[in-house]
This record gives sequence, C-alpha cells and structure tokens, in this order.
Amino acid sequence: MRLSGSSVRAYADESIAAASIACGSRVLSRSLKYHRPRTFFCFEGHCSGCLVRLGGVPNLRACQSPCTPGAEVEGQNAFPSAEIDLLGAVDFLFSRGMDHHTLMTGSSVLNKLANKVVRQLSGLGKLPTHAAAELPEVGRFDVDVCVIGGGPAGLAAASTTARAGRRTVLVDDQLRPGGSMRTDPRVGRALAEHYGAETVRTGVAVLARSTAIGFFPEDDGGVLAVSAPDRLYRIYARHWIWATGGYVVNLPFPDNDRPGVLAARAVGRLLVDHGILAGERVCIVETPAMEQDVTALAQALTGAGADVTRVPLADVVGTRGRGWITAIDTKRGKLDCDLVAVAATPAPASEGARQQGCSVVLDEHAGGFKIVTDDAGRTSTANVWACGDVTGYQGPAAAAADGARVGANVVEAG
Amino acid sequence: MQGANEDEEDESRADVSGEIRLPATLEGRTGNVPEKAEIAIVGGGVIGLSIAYHLARRGLTDVVVLERGYLAEGASGRNGGGVRQQWSTEINIRLMQESVELCRRFAVDLGVNVWFRQGGYLFLARNAKETARLEKNIALQNRCGVHTRMLEPKAALDIVPELDLTGIVAASYNPSDGILFPWPFLWGYARQAAAHGVRIFTQTPVGGLEPQASGGYLVHTPRGAVRARRVINACGAWSPRLAELIGVQVPTWPIRHEICSSEPLKPFLRPMVSELSSGLYCSQSMRGEIVGGVSLPGHGSTYRMGSTLEFLATYARRLVRLMPVLGDIKILRQWAGPYDQSPDGNPILGAAPGHPDFFLACGFVGHGFMMAPIIGKLYAEWLTGGTPHEIFVRSPLARFADGSGAHHEKEDFNIG
Amino acid sequence: MAGKIVLCRCEDVTLSDLEHSVSRGYRDIEEVKRYTGFGTGPCQGKECLAVVALQLARITQQHPSAIPPFTSRPPLAPTPLKLLAKDPGAHRFADETDEGED
Ligand code: FES
Ligand code: FES
Repeated sequence: MRLSGSSVRAYADESIAAASIACGSRVLSRSLKYHRPRTFFCFEGHCSGCLVRLGGVPNLRACQSPCTPGAEVEGQNAFPSAEIDLLGAVDFLFSRGMDHHTLMTGSSVLNKLANKVVRQLSGLGKLPTHAAAELPEVGRFDVDVCVIGGGPAGLAAASTTARAGRRTVLVDDQLRPGGSMRTDPRVGRALAEHYGAETVRTGVAVLARSTAIGFFPEDDGGVLAVSAPDRLYRIYARHWIWATGGYVVNLPFPDNDRPGVLAARAVGRLLVDHGILAGERVCIVETPAMEQDVTALAQALTGAGADVTRVPLADVVGTRGRGWITAIDTKRGKLDCDLVAVAATPAPASEGARQQGCSVVLDEHAGGFKIVTDDAGRTSTANVWACGDVTGYQGPAAAAADGARVGANVVEAG
Repeated sequence: MQGANEDEEDESRADVSGEIRLPATLEGRTGNVPEKAEIAIVGGGVIGLSIAYHLARRGLTDVVVLERGYLAEGASGRNGGGVRQQWSTEINIRLMQESVELCRRFAVDLGVNVWFRQGGYLFLARNAKETARLEKNIALQNRCGVHTRMLEPKAALDIVPELDLTGIVAASYNPSDGILFPWPFLWGYARQAAAHGVRIFTQTPVGGLEPQASGGYLVHTPRGAVRARRVINACGAWSPRLAELIGVQVPTWPIRHEICSSEPLKPFLRPMVSELSSGLYCSQSMRGEIVGGVSLPGHGSTYRMGSTLEFLATYARRLVRLMPVLGDIKILRQWAGPYDQSPDGNPILGAAPGHPDFFLACGFVGHGFMMAPIIGKLYAEWLTGGTPHEIFVRSPLARFADGSGAHHEKEDFNIG
Repeated sequence: MAGKIVLCRCEDVTLSDLEHSVSRGYRDIEEVKRYTGFGTGPCQGKECLAVVALQLARITQQHPSAIPPFTSRPPLAPTPLKLLAKDPGAHRFADETDEGED
C-alpha cells in the first residue's frame, strides 16, 4: 500500500494503523482548533485520532481499515503535511487558550477577517472524488436474542443463548471479535480466537466489522440499525443484550494529547494481537484502580524487551517531544521514553442502551456512565439486558463469566 | 449565585480573549427568583432572549427570563441556522431584510461570533408548478429590493458544481441570504441582557400564573414566585400550555422536525440548497459539517423529539440523489426540534384578548430563529412606549376567533 | 505545545475551557457541550463524555450521580449516506414515482 506517497509493505488483513506504526509513520492529521498533531490513541475505532483519506474517501479510521494491496492512504488537515504543519502556530499563539466565541469581535473589519479565516481552517478532509458505488439491499434479522458487542461478555452471552436453541445474532464493530481479550496479556489472541470460533459453532450469526448505529423505537415497532462496511442491516429481536464493554479514555495531565501517548489497552493490543512492540522505553501513567491490569501489561512488555517505568497520574506534570513523545516530566524529574501508555478505567459504552431507555449512572469506579442492572442483568427497560464492562469495569475474565450468567438468565426468561 | 472565586477566574481570562468583563450570564442553580419584576419572559429561547436584550438596551432592565430547561434546549438550539429573505409575503420579506442586517452586525454589536456567512440560498424546482411559485415570489421580492433571480439549471451548477441536474427545471438564488451558528446567538443575547441587569433563570419551569387584582401576575416556579406587571409567553411549541394556565387558547401545535449533521469537511458548499419537492435542505456550517433535513409528511402533532430511521433514510436518499458525490460522506448525529405551527403560517403577537398584561410571541413555524433579531427589537420598542409596528397589528390572537384572519395573507414558504 | 490538559481531543477542549464555561454559568452537561463543543467531534463523545462529566462533578462540587449524560443521538458511529439511502423505510415523494425511476 502507499502511505502519504511512499510505499509501505504490510500484511494483508492487518489494520493500516498497525502497519504504519510498525514502519514508523505516525502523525496522521491535525486537530481542528489548535492544529495539534493527531494520531492513534485507542486502536479500536472509537477515538477518531487516526482519520485518514483512503482511496479518495475522507475521514476513515486507519485502525479499522484492513490493508489492501495498492491502497492509497493520505494524511489530512495539515499544510503542507501532517508531520510538519505550519498552522501549528495557532497552538502557540493561543497558548493560554482561546474563546472562539468572542475572538475578534472588536470591529467589523476584524470580524469579517475572522469569519473568512476560520472557514478556511475548518473541516477535516476534502470531498470524495467520485460518487459511491451501488450497494446491496438492506439485510434483515428477526431473532430471539440480539447481542451487541463481541468481547468476552458478548461472546459468552451469545453462545449461551444459542446453545439453548435461541436464534441469536451478535454484532461486533472490530476487525475481529474478541474485544478486550485481544488486548490483555493474561488472556491473549489464541483464546480470543477460540471463543470467537466457538460462538460461531453454537450457531450464532456473527456480524463482524458491524456497528449498531442506533435503536429507533418509532420505526417499525423498534428496530436496531447496524452498519457493516458495505451494507445496512435491520435487526428485530425479542431480547437485547448490551455487552459493549468500555471505551479507553485519556487521563488529565498537561500535554496529554501528544502523539506517542496511547491508551495502555492499545499498547496491549499491539503486542498481544499484532505482535508489535510499539516502544522500547515505555512509561505507563496509571490510576490506582488499574493496578493489576498495569502489572500484567508491564510484565508482558518487559518480557518482549521493553524498558518499562510506571508513574502514578498524580506525579505527571507534563510531556515533551516535537512530533512524537520523547519524555515525560514528573514531580521527581524527567523520564525519557518513546511511548506513554495511559491506564485509566475504561468508560462504559452505554449510549446505545440509553437509546432504549435504560437507566445509567455516572460512577467514577465504573469509569463513567454504567448501565444500571439488577442481579440477573436486567436493565430498567423490559427485555433489555446488560453484562460485562458496560455495567462497570470488570476485566476480561469476570466479564466472560458475567456474560454466560446473563445469557442463561435471558434463556430462562423465555 | 456565582462564588467570588469563579468571578475572578472569569476576569483573569479577560486579557487572553479580549473580552469585556461581565458577570456570569446565567443565575446559579440555587437561590430564589426575585419577588417582583416589571416583565417576566417565560421561555429562554431566542425570541425571549432577543426581547429581553432589546428591552434592557432601551433601559427596561427589571426583567426576569424563566427557562424551564437548559439554555438552547428547545427549538432555538436545534435549528439549521438558515436566514433568508426569500419569502412569499411582503411583510415577511421586509422584516427579514432587517433581520439580515442585524445578523451582519451581531458579532460586533454583541461580542459573540455567530459565524454569519452570506453564501446565498438556492431553491430548486422540479416541475412547472414549483417554478411558477418561485417566479411569483421573486417578483414580490424584487419589488422589495431583494435581488433574488431565476436561474437556468445550468447556472445553478456554477454555484454548486456537485449538483446532479437530472429532473431540475429551474432555480432561484439570492446571494445575500445566509446561515449562522444558532447557539452563540442565545449566548450573545443572554450575556448582554445579563450585563444590563436582566436575570436569567434556567431549569426554572413556570407552574402557575395567578392574576393580580392590581394587574399583572404572580408567576409561580419551584424557586419561588415573582410578581410581574407583564408576562410574555415566548415558549415556542409549548406556548399553548403556558396560555392554558390562564384559560387562553393558543391554536398552535407542535410538529417535530428532524435534522442531522455530517462529519466536518473542508469548505466546498457556498449556499444553502433547498429542493421544493421534498423540502430537502442542506448547508455547510462554519465547522465544515453538512447540516440539513427533509420534510417528512404525516407525523402529526407531537412533543416527542426522538429521532427516526425514516428521517435518516429519506434525507440520505434525497441528498445522494441531488449530490451523488456525497454518497461516502458520513452522518455524525441526528436530532429533532419542534416547530410551533400556527394555522395560517404566521406568528401570534401582542396581548391576548381580555388579558392586557399577557403578551404572546409564538407561532413562528420553525422560523423564529431568523425572525428573532427584528421581532425582539420591535417588541421592545413597542413595550417601552413606541408605536406598534404593523406586524403587531396584523398578528393578534383574535384573528383566529373573529374571522378577521381572512385579510391576513397566508405564508406558504415555510421550508428550509 | 503549551501545557494544555486536553479533555476532548476531537474538538480540542481543555480543562480550562470547561472551567471557563462553568464560570459563565453554563454548567448543565448539555450547555457545556454546546458552549465548549466537547462531544461533538467525529467520536461523538466516546472518548470524552465520561471524562468531562467527572471533571464537571468535581468543579461544581456535585456527586457524580447527579450528573446525567448528554442525550445519546444516532448514529452511534459515523455512517455513510450511501448506506442509509438503501433503507426501505425512506419516504418516497411524488416526484420519484412521476419520473418512474426505481
Ligand atoms: S480510532 Fe483509530 S486509533 Fe482510535
Ligand atoms: S474526544 Fe470529544 S468528541 Fe471525540
């Protein structure tokens, strides 16, 4: 494939993001307001740090796009290129922040200028070069159980209901199902693949690379719309199980958005799922709640040959580096590194369930807005269930057990 | 109320952004409403805030604004930001000419950027009937000094090269119509009104209106009651509910209008584009997003503001048909807002019959936003002793009951 | 770079932007979303909603459970128009049948 004009060798099936990390090409675009450099953070299709132009279509996620021979990948929103961007001066000029609501409202001449300039700087990515290809008709599933999320909880729940004879469909938005199992060195890729295959064997219809884009209560008596890469699906189900897990989030410290600051789970994913060691000197910035997860990751990284330092969030005072990170500043001094892994409690991915009316509550220990459930896994909405990290962070092993348990309860409920 | 620390924090930012030092715009979450006020405006949408701002500028600052939700919760925070002069009645054309002028000056007058951009409005017709409608309106608009012109379909391509002209028979274009970003409009009015002493309470629903022997009302809220000499009903789609509290029937009804926004793209689309046959409209915001909607018939009167797949599908289908190159563009979010639909498509203004202290400012049929700058100004002039503008004479609630509505022209260009 | 603590990376919203919004009186999560722009970028708040909500609870000294999330709006992920245009639920207008297309 071609990345910003130069040829890159990559394995088919690997994501464009993993391939470009492996070959050292890393800054992909610039942010909208301050033109700060932007690149991968989550490696799971949720942060939008990795938007690129691919085959003439803007704003596609490099981490969720498989490499294809001859693919043309281009960076976006920078002049002259994403790695060296002259507009980055905006960040420097407004180093104390700017309130764009009141910027240059002092006179009409200045204001006209502000309007012109802001419009030219706005937006991310240019119009596609051609009309889209014609697509197949919308697919339809009428099932007993629809499981959203193909991580440890979702796979376990779906195979439980399918084994009991319930027609089950599972929707997963990643390149391959497995969720957090593919990121956690205590579980690993082989097990993720095993559970994935097992789920298919039990008769579950698995829609991979497919995202539940919304539940629409007023259309057709309630329908879940799902987008696959080239097709839309409508799903109708008697029971719904949300097993969407959590999103990796960043932690608040100065210059926490510098390229090279990655989610710890992304660093884990690169190692566990892709066999890529993303840095040689890795600093892990962590909160007390993630202690055990970080210990496992640190061991695995050390085992793979990295030099690992763990830093509590409270000690971090800044980061350094032009382009990619070169050091972090802590209360105890400067630490050189070529990668920072941020370990924060993942934020429950509860927004789909919220569209079904499920109650959520903001809970720091859960990582964000967790779905409220009873002991059986029922949410506040009839026939809607939830299990795994979306009900509060548990980690892969506990999430799998939770999924199996809630799956069994759904079977029992009819 | 704001604590002292927060105010200091605010001022420390003043030199950075070049802001004038002002108190916090909104009242805090605790604390009662004042015991009395000259005017209570119910509804903190753009109409209510515009009236409040203009009253304050004319020296009438003893005003409270009572908003039941958060600022911009209603239609004012949910519209597409279109501002046009292409209307079908003379009075609307003339009012909107003045509104456009006020929008041009808004950022400088009020100190908040609304990113008003005059990229024009392009209407597209697909048959002779639609063409005739455009031609009739243009004749009137030109008489009023609005330079709208008919275009051959090919000329529309010069303005929007991405159009697929199949089936398009004519277009009308006025280069001085425009779009703006709705939310800062509210912040601007709210902030300047507050700076003049108007007090704005959010999360403060009105539960009762008690007429007082001496005139005016005791306005009940969960944060105490305020005795107001005059009350203005600026509740948008919820206006009938407030009026009901004193037994006044307002014949408007809520219609859900859905809208959506795409991923941000580099600027390419100059005007607002609107297709008459489907009510499809779209424009590119200052942030680069394509914002637009389409008319869905048959959803009736409803306060439900949920989103439908039907809308997304219809909008997508019509937009890709009109601009095929947008097929790969992604929708980021959809939402809905209520139109306050009036029987003749025109607003309802002035005191309610038999209730000289209860004023109406509703029935704007989805165009309250673009009308607000001028309506607020005229309303404030009138309430502070000026002679009422013609629009108040023509828009009384009584027109529906006594049949005098017959001489009120019906506005039939309530799209986009 | 300049020591910014970024809470929302899609829209470059910093901790001090959040504090500024609260000091203006815009402290409801929906008002903060509109005033700062957080949660309106390509990820639609997946990365920042929980982070901002927890910071908001801290700044306004509320218990986190008192802070609701902002309204969840479809689509939950960016969805191409070409996909949506295929949905059979789309309304057909008179001009589509007249032309006899489809
Ligand atoms: S979306 Fe690709 S790295 Fe986050
Ligand atoms: S990080 Fe805030 S919208 Fe994406």
